[in-house]
Amino acid sequence: MTIWEKMQKIDRRILYGILVVCVCIGLFFPSTIRTDPDPSSKSFYAAVQKLPKGSTIIVQTDWTNSTRGESLGHFENLMRLLMNGEHKFVFYSAADPAAPQVARTVLARIVAERKSQGLREYKVGEDYVDLGFFPNAEATNTSMGANLKAAWAGRKSKTPSGTEIDIFKTPVLANVNRIEDCQMMIVITASQSIDIAVQRLAQKIDITALVTGVVGPTVLPFYQSDQIKGVAVGLKGVYDIEYLMEYGIDDVKIEGQPYATAGKEGPVPKTEIGTRFSRGRQYYGTLHVALTLLILAVVMGNVAMFAARRRKGEKV
Amino acid sequence: MNLNYDVIKITAGVIATIGLYSILYKENRFYRLFEHIFLGLAAGYTIVATWKDTLYPQWWQKMMGQVAEGDNPAVPGYWVYAALLPIGLLAYLVFNRKHNWMSKIPIGVILGLWSGQQVQVWWNTWGPQIFASMQPIIPTTFSPLAVPSRMEVVGGQVLPIADADRLAAVQQQITNNLYLTQALTNFIFVITFLSAFSYFIFSFELKGKLMTGVNKFGRWMLMIGFGAIFGSTVMARFALVIDRMAYIVIEWVQALTRGV
Repeated sequence: MTIWEKMQKIDRRILYGILVVCVCIGLFFPSTIRTDPDPSSKSFYAAVQKLPKGSTIIVQTDWTNSTRGESLGHFENLMRLLMNGEHKFVFYSAADPAAPQVARTVLARIVAERKSQGLREYKVGEDYVDLGFFPNAEATNTSMGANLKAAWAGRKSKTPSGTEIDIFKTPVLANVNRIEDCQMMIVITASQSIDIAVQRLAQKIDITALVTGVVGPTVLPFYQSDQIKGVAVGLKGVYDIEYLMEYGIDDVKIEGQPYATAGKEGPVPKTEIGTRFSRGRQYYGTLHVALTLLILAVVMGNVAMFAARRRKGEKV
Repeated sequence: MNLNYDVIKITAGVIATIGLYSILYKENRFYRLFEHIFLGLAAGYTIVATWKDTLYPQWWQKMMGQVAEGDNPAVPGYWVYAALLPIGLLAYLVFNRKHNWMSKIPIGVILGLWSGQQVQVWWNTWGPQIFASMQPIIPTTFSPLAVPSRMEVVGGQVLPIADADRLAAVQQQITNNLYLTQALTNFIFVITFLSAFSYFIFSFELKGKLMTGVNKFGRWMLMIGFGAIFGSTVMARFALVIDRMAYIVIEWVQALTRGV
């Protein structure tokens, strides 16, 4: 058996093993890779950063641990951005019953992180409201657009003192009667729930999104036709947002050139407080390692196949 | 080692991760065990979440009403809500050969509601995209050929135009004109859109070199599009592997060593 034939017969478990080792090594060497973030990511960052201080935001969090690699970074970045802007927010899921609990866990970690940095501690019932799970995204979004108070009727929120009150009596939703009273809806999703939100609510409220790489290609047309105001896609999107938090749009410069050039949204300053580079930076470099490995394997496999065929005298 | 709740929780996650990835080696009982645990947990969690977050506050509490308590006034119960339960349960008669026609009642209600929304949904989805597809393809100026820069060279450095009036004039010029490079981009978009669209004409046979050529070009464009989507999907899958490995080699190890 020639080397080319041996290469074609490599056990796939060896390739999995090499991938795991390379990925694990890559994780210990996070690096800042110079990039110009995607226009859609810049639009997302600009849209959130330009919200008036203390805005009320609706966060539809439709992801669970099955897409943690991308959505966790998205959610962490979003929480940091909203808390830095001192915005009030409600969060719920219209896609997965486990999603609110996943969001609660991450939210608690970000609150603890900010507390350790000496920043203001966000409190349930005062700064944010946890609405839980709504089955059926179509019905949920349609009723939210028709009558927000009826759609969310009966939901209670915990307060910092541990009691429970009606969500519309909390400082977060005290002045909200219709969905138009909220300044933005942000959908973090790994599914088509962003399509449903656009179909039902895009004409009533500005929508932005943080989506996975699988969903991304179907969401970008919404951005190009201005149905959503910005979207960060996949792990690149996570890194883009962290990069923009660190350098801003046309803000921090190196040798006179901005790290991120301004597009249609114009200059937007970097984030001054809290964590900026985090999970996205840690994973993005490792993604390059994994993709390089994939490309190498594809190239080597093809070269080996052609070489083996040529050796056998087969038509290449 | 500090075996607190966090360590136990993360360790359980690590064991489950390894169990589920063990299918990559070969089919085994360890994998099947965690697959069944996962499915059972998901099903059980869904039932509890649906009752606790939706059925209890939105159906049960409204049906039962509320007695006056503290500052909260009494609320009358809407007994009509009780009718929703048998209507919903009719769906399960689909398993009964004699009475399965009754399952069509709740299904009909759902289909009716869904169908009624589709006109609005269709327009809200595609309307703005159809408008956005109408791109101008004839340039309004050939001088310069590309979009003028908002930057200038000062002392060997490239900087944004400092003079506000000149910057505003350049911005106005950009807004008022369609440059050749922009027109070319729009042309590529329109050709791609029309050719990909033409691929889905199945009502009559496409004849002639022009039509078959456009159709073939559309197929190529679709393939390029699918390739890009596949690439994005591969990146997403790698992100999952990277995160699972980070969970094991970073989060778990950190949790184990934190209390030492």
